[in-house]
Amino acid sequence: MPATQRTRRRSAANPADRPIRLTVNGTRYELVPGLNLPTSMTLAAFLRERLGYTGLKVSCDEGACGACTVLLDGTAVLSCMMLAVEADGHEVLTIEGLPPDDPVIQAFAEQSEPGYGTALQCGYCTPGFVMTARALLNENPSPSLPEIKEALSGNICRCGCYAGIAQAVLNASRKMAARASVRGDAAARGGAR
Amino acid sequence: MSAAKKGFTPRVARKHVGGYRPRIDGMEKASGRALYADDIASPIRFPNLLYAKVLRSPHAHARIRRLDAARARALPGVAAVLAFDDQEVARLPPTNAGWTDGVDTVSYEHMMWRQYRDRRVLGDTACWVGDEIGAVVAAESEAVAEEALRALDVEWEILPFVLDLFEAMKPGAPAVHPGIAPDNVLPPATAGRPDRFFDKGDIDRGLAEAEVKVEGTSIHHNATQASLDPWCCVAAWSDDRLTIWSNSYEAEQSRMHVSQMLELPIHKVRIVSSYVGGQFGRCDTGDQPFFLFTALLARRTGRPVKFKHTRRESFHDSRQPAIYHGVAAAMRDGTITSLSFDCVGNAGAYADHTMFPLKLIPAEVSEVVFAHVPNVRFQVRAVYTNKLPGCMMRGVGNSQLNLILGHLVDLLAEKLGMDPLELAVKNFGHQWEELPDRSLEAVLEAGASRIGWRAKRHAPGAGPVFGEDGRRGVGFSFHPGWHAEWQEMRRGEVQAAITLNPDGTVTLNAPTVETGTGSNTCNVLGCAEALAFLDLRPADIHWVQVVDSDSGMKDCVQTDSAVSYLQSEVMAAAAKELKARILERGAKVIGCPAGELDVAGGRIFRTAAPDGGLAVRDLLMRPDILPITVTMSRRPEDKRTGVPYIATFAEVEVDTGTGRVQVLHLAVVNDCGTVMYASGAEAQQIGGQCMGMGEALTEEIIYDKATGVPLNFNWIDYTIPTMADMPDIDPVLLEVWRGAGEYGACGISEGTVTCTPRAILNAIYNAIGVRLDEIPVKPEKVLRALGKA
Repeated sequence: MPATQRTRRRSAANPADRPIRLTVNGTRYELVPGLNLPTSMTLAAFLRERLGYTGLKVSCDEGACGACTVLLDGTAVLSCMMLAVEADGHEVLTIEGLPPDDPVIQAFAEQSEPGYGTALQCGYCTPGFVMTARALLNENPSPSLPEIKEALSGNICRCGCYAGIAQAVLNASRKMAARASVRGDAAARGGAR
Repeated sequence: MSAAKKGFTPRVARKHVGGYRPRIDGMEKASGRALYADDIASPIRFPNLLYAKVLRSPHAHARIRRLDAARARALPGVAAVLAFDDQEVARLPPTNAGWTDGVDTVSYEHMMWRQYRDRRVLGDTACWVGDEIGAVVAAESEAVAEEALRALDVEWEILPFVLDLFEAMKPGAPAVHPGIAPDNVLPPATAGRPDRFFDKGDIDRGLAEAEVKVEGTSIHHNATQASLDPWCCVAAWSDDRLTIWSNSYEAEQSRMHVSQMLELPIHKVRIVSSYVGGQFGRCDTGDQPFFLFTALLARRTGRPVKFKHTRRESFHDSRQPAIYHGVAAAMRDGTITSLSFDCVGNAGAYADHTMFPLKLIPAEVSEVVFAHVPNVRFQVRAVYTNKLPGCMMRGVGNSQLNLILGHLVDLLAEKLGMDPLELAVKNFGHQWEELPDRSLEAVLEAGASRIGWRAKRHAPGAGPVFGEDGRRGVGFSFHPGWHAEWQEMRRGEVQAAITLNPDGTVTLNAPTVETGTGSNTCNVLGCAEALAFLDLRPADIHWVQVVDSDSGMKDCVQTDSAVSYLQSEVMAAAAKELKARILERGAKVIGCPAGELDVAGGRIFRTAAPDGGLAVRDLLMRPDILPITVTMSRRPEDKRTGVPYIATFAEVEVDTGTGRVQVLHLAVVNDCGTVMYASGAEAQQIGGQCMGMGEALTEEIIYDKATGVPLNFNWIDYTIPTMADMPDIDPVLLEVWRGAGEYGACGISEGTVTCTPRAILNAIYNAIGVRLDEIPVKPEKVLRALGKA
């Protein structure tokens, strides 16, 4: 008998044992709350301490700083403010799930344009900012500076690299447009052939 | 945001040092791969991990009469409870969180503030709400550890408390540390100088001679460092050897502290620090009680134990508050004849580094910046109360002093009818140079030009009205830079090791805990510059990131913003030695005296035949293949170079209807001597404004006066500026002054926060014509000043 059916049968007898299923960075997990997943465990703790995705940080643990931001079905969420069980049926993306050439990561790493400083110093807030920026660009690929400030104002950078971060997001947006245009050209060439 | 910004132009063109480029750790940090203490202290790496939680006092002042841990010990999942009356705790000597300011490593006997050993590790007496005392537990999870704390049966003897420092000085006030300060006023300390610690000339004569006199008050508060990375450590024993992985930024000092407090030989203690998520001066020393009790729990349980502060618990220390009263007197032509400062500071529950900002810094700054003022006097008192202890914070002491200095300059200029820029240049410099000081002139001119000083400055409160109630104004403040090389003498030798690998790449061990300052990038640029003869790219250099006390090298602690250039100065010296070693090896292979050889462009050749020779890597790849390692120590030079200047200019708009102050524009000017890494320096200039503006306008710790309970130990109610709050910031880098050594650089980052609050306050005065003495300037204070509330 497949494992899932076995689990289902037991959960019917005890609804508390109903397994939850979530996807993290493309890998599917099935867990039974109360059995192998404490019901009170936050999504942040689950991702960091169970799966080893330590990119996200737990700095305030109360939704005030944004350092624990991950994407849930493409939208930015504070993983310290969600229970792991609430991710049931959803797709979670942590910073480790972004490709190494992600334009947002690259733009944050590279920022050194004169007049704006770097986009990171101590780096503790950076994964949260990267994921929040990633969510913004998913929704709005070419945001204006005020839109960037609005979208990223839930994240705290105590090193104060806000000017560099804003530049990085603008540059990430440009990189995305350039790549889309290259892809578009390639598609157009492919079409012509 | 303004149109395309321009970078600075270096005084001396160099290939690597001073450039605009990404940080060397940019990709590691931007991709989330950088590891911090909390990431290392993971149950995945330490499967047997226990979690520690420490009892915190709910009372502002109380003593534990009796503590019964039986119920806590009996809870499933509790591995150990350690209490104040356990022998291994009780034997720990009284201590202080101010062993060292970080520059040097010190022993218990020689700790900086040894007259204020007012702290017990897990003592029985609480001196503020939140004090870590009494007992600590180790359990299978943080939740169980917290439950165990709640299960402790504690009988408290509640003592009277005092929060206000003036109340604390009255006869009969509750004494916080009666053995040290029966009247709560800290006695003079060895390193602290007497209360009147700076007294030059004759103040009274200076006042009598003067034609104009002004006086003013400025009040600085308990802003907190608010590093995002909460204090964290994991302690584990292997037989009788202890390893602590932590986000302490002082590995060598932490080893000394743990060794001495726990009476372990130094070689039985190992401290490892990886990346740290911001430091900013928090509890500035290796002396942290939680290292000790975490280590004791790990020994008792035989398992690794983790301790991490929650965000609330991270409100652990703060900037030292200071109330300054100042008097300045001058002749009608603007020549200042006398300056006097009377300061009183609320030390909070423990002395820690209180006297560092209140005495050492003003004394050091005064010798320099007031060198041309004939009569100067400082006196200070620091007072114990039952509040959060004041300690170190970025811009230590300077921020508090600048708040009064910039105030007096603005007041005096107004009374004299002078431009305050002109008044500053006329009087301030340093003792090794005639006035006017070129550095001060240059930073003021640059700032004035960026902010539009001459066009925008108007009579106080007399500017144009924007919208219904908006009044705009501009203000500035200036301060000496921090720190030049001669001010780093106490640090002793700075160490670095350069290893030239056989393939021509380099491994650079310039130990310092990377807290975000960017000194790692400065180091790599400095190393590439020093090894120009090998024609290296920065990418050919690997910077050893993790600081491990087993390396046998002392880490250069990230304080005084000086690591950015001190280690590069060592490398400049080490490179000469490395070149000599290459020539020696070349002499054997090529078969001629080393004196006839040279190395350039990555090749070794006879000076007589520069077109011949061979690549250095071909030389090194010959058997027996051995890397060349040069370890160099260098003491900072004592060459008296004075200091450069820094300044911040602000433009604000004050809404006279709501009292809201909006900062429109900041220009931050640093004379750096030499810019080591331009993008990093600008990041510090811009970044410092988050803290400077926060301290000036929004950040404040609020207490319930009836109970002494701090009410806003969280980031919703303790308001740190976010991206939406920050104005356009112009970072301006200058190279006018020159310090000692190969580069002649100066630290800049600490200073970037220093002038901001006063620049904003002076701009507010220019806008509304009413002065505010106390930061943070929240709307209600503006309305009160305007007579509207």
